Amino acid sequence: MNKLYQQKHELWLEITFASFAISDEAIKSRLYEFSLIAFRHMKWLGSDILEKGDDYNYDRELTLQKLDTSFQIIHALESSVTNAIANYPKDILGERMKTDDVYLLEYLKEILSCEFNNQTITAFNMKREWIDKNLAQDQIDALTLFLFEESYKEYELILIYAYMQARTKDVMHFNVFQDLIDESHFHLKSFGNMMAKLGILTLPRMLHEMTYVVKDLEQFVKDGIEEEEAAKIMCKELSDAIKDEDLSNFFDFVNYQESYHIELMKKLL
Amino acid sequence: MFEDTKMPEGMNPEVLEHLMSPKNYGKLDNASGVGVALDEKTREYVIFYTLLDGDIIIDVKFATNGCQDTVVIGSMFTEMIMNNNIEYANKAIAKMNDKLGDMTPQQQVCADIVFSAFIASLKNFENLQNGLEEELHLFKMKESCETPIEGDSNE
Repeated sequence: MNKLYQQKHELWLEITFASFAISDEAIKSRLYEFSLIAFRHMKWLGSDILEKGDDYNYDRELTLQKLDTSFQIIHALESSVTNAIANYPKDILGERMKTDDVYLLEYLKEILSCEFNNQTITAFNMKREWIDKNLAQDQIDALTLFLFEESYKEYELILIYAYMQARTKDVMHFNVFQDLIDESHFHLKSFGNMMAKLGILTLPRMLHEMTYVVKDLEQFVKDGIEEEEAAKIMCKELSDAIKDEDLSNFFDFVNYQESYHIELMKKLL
Repeated sequence: MFEDTKMPEGMNPEVLEHLMSPKNYGKLDNASGVGVALDEKTREYVIFYTLLDGDIIIDVKFATNGCQDTVVIGSMFTEMIMNNNIEYANKAIAKMNDKLGDMTPQQQVCADIVFSAFIASLKNFENLQNGLEEELHLFKMKESCETPIEGDSNE
């Protein structure tokens, strides 16, 4: 079962990062919706595994291929979805995942049927240029480091909170974890799309179990609050450093969101 | 032998490549030794897996929940020591430490936690050779990212 869980984890990431890489807004948005469905599949699959007395981990083998065109990305995704469907269990959850993914395959075929959708991918070109912004090199450097640091952190938080959510019996804790997961999805999406614009899109590195197997919730929350404080400082510093009103406002907005995360986390204490 | 090693000062293409695709990142199931260096204050850790054939490091992997400096240094260091012997690896630590002299205190802490995890993996191997039952060897860092640098990095 862990093998299937790993495949679902990888598929969630593959759909998510396909959405980030493709610049067409309509395709990007639709694929992102499918990625959230894939994440729910992963969550339900995890619950099933635990209910059966088994366990899962966050190991993965996926690497993000630096593909040149939208169609190459869509073809790779088609292949991964088809492979995943072949391994779904013959039960109610398996049927649900299958019907969702068959529908996704139909959407992918629809994209491929229109040559106009086959656009050049610049998400991996490492140029670190933001075409419609006038950012100095030091601002680009600061933004680059921030995006690498925080995209990993958001991925890490999504998985840690999901791991704890799957194991808690406390409804209030469950709800707080869900809010924090939703918030981190939004941040990962924002940062991932920025990385793609800069040509530095990459998967966050794999989580080791030392990171997500939390033995002391209180200590974890206290450390997490300190991390949120640090993230707030990073956002503020970046907002001050970036001489672009839109980006600066965005990082202020994220900064205020981090403040509320701290309040949410305090509810876990 | 390390003349061409570039350290992560600024955002050169080599650093960017290590950031985007850290080398030797992950786990080794058949490691000869496993070491962990832990910063108890920040809970940041590096875990290092070393596979030896005699004194040759034939495979190595690392993982961390730490910052990007730790990832870049871990990636560079593992590339340097792969397929070399332990003596070479110890020289690599010294050489990288020399180069890290130009870096911020926080980056030096990041380098120390990587090197300490590697040394812990060798200690684990030594302990296992001596019949000790030890899943991994743990070094607790004396210096934290949050504190000024003074003295040694591990105990």
